[in-house]
Amino acid sequence: MPFRELNSVQLDTLKEISNIGMGHAATALSQMIGRRVNLTVPNVTITEISKVPEHLGGAEKMMVGITLQILGDARGSIMLLFPQESAHRLLCSLLGPQEKGLVMTEVSVSALKEVGNILASAYLSALGNLLNKTLIPSVPLLAYDMAGAVVDHVLIDLSQAGDFAMMVETDFGGEPDQDLSIKGHFFLLPDPVTLNVFLSDVGGSV
Amino acid sequence: MSIRITIAQVRIDQSPAVLKAYGLGSCVAVALYDPEARIGGLGHLLLPNRPERNALGSESKYVDAGILEIVDKLVQAGAIKDRLVAKVAGGANMFETSYQTLITSIGARNARSARATLASLGIPILGEEVGGNRGRTVEFDLATGNMMVYCAHDDVQVST
Repeated sequence: MPFRELNSVQLDTLKEISNIGMGHAATALSQMIGRRVNLTVPNVTITEISKVPEHLGGAEKMMVGITLQILGDARGSIMLLFPQESAHRLLCSLLGPQEKGLVMTEVSVSALKEVGNILASAYLSALGNLLNKTLIPSVPLLAYDMAGAVVDHVLIDLSQAGDFAMMVETDFGGEPDQDLSIKGHFFLLPDPVTLNVFLSDVGGSV
Repeated sequence: MSIRITIAQVRIDQSPAVLKAYGLGSCVAVALYDPEARIGGLGHLLLPNRPERNALGSESKYVDAGILEIVDKLVQAGAIKDRLVAKVAGGANMFETSYQTLITSIGARNARSARATLASLGIPILGEEVGGNRGRTVEFDLATGNMMVYCAHDDVQVST
């Protein structure tokens, strides 16, 4: 089913699935960095593939992207994006004081991938429990580059099925203080067959 | 005057316009130019080949179909096909990986498709900045036919 044809009930269903999954993921992240993590309600948007970089704040904005494939009973991929300032703050929380500015070393890459792994696993296990499906994340892959370049990887996947993308967006608001907050975007990118599976299992199908 | 080309878009214009494509990862940007008429086109293309059946959505997301579209538009606008020259950038593999999946090698396939399509049309490639694992932004200056390629990390500027 092309994403464009989803009705508002189905969008709400996907939003709720994501809310539950993100709740687990936020708990995991909060335990890992020892700080409170608030998350805002996910925004489920159907948008033209060509507009996705704009939704992320511009194609040239520097971002750390961590991607995992969903394996098991459903297929698709997950993409986590952190603006470079947030990735830097996350590393400071995990590894102690860091050099000024984001420097990608073997240790920082590994730490960020681990964050991706924990978030994706928490999300997928919640989703799997809800749908009674086994969902397994693949090994995480990381890229630190312009937002447009980081996301075109997933857009290519989606574009084979049409011109629209579904973005399940979540912001991790850490602290009320803007200078300390960690923001991220979480994208669940089910392939179209998997999307039908999700919707029919939770009663949101047409 | 600079004009932004978004994903899955092709566009032609004439001197002195500058066509830009931002944040190319595994996508490729293909620039075609007629140096005498000083008109050219740029495509921000994301999939290597248009499937023969059941192609979904816009034509200009495919490298092969997109190149044909630019050539057609340029010829209609007064370019001579035999004078056209090409420049190609992008086709990176952003996520380093020890195993090659279909998706991770898509950048290389995009670049290959661009070369094959241009070769079949008899259009020479004057410059390339493809592959690797870095994102690129390109600026294609229709006054000169120069294409500048900018990378985020090392401030590499490649002029092709």
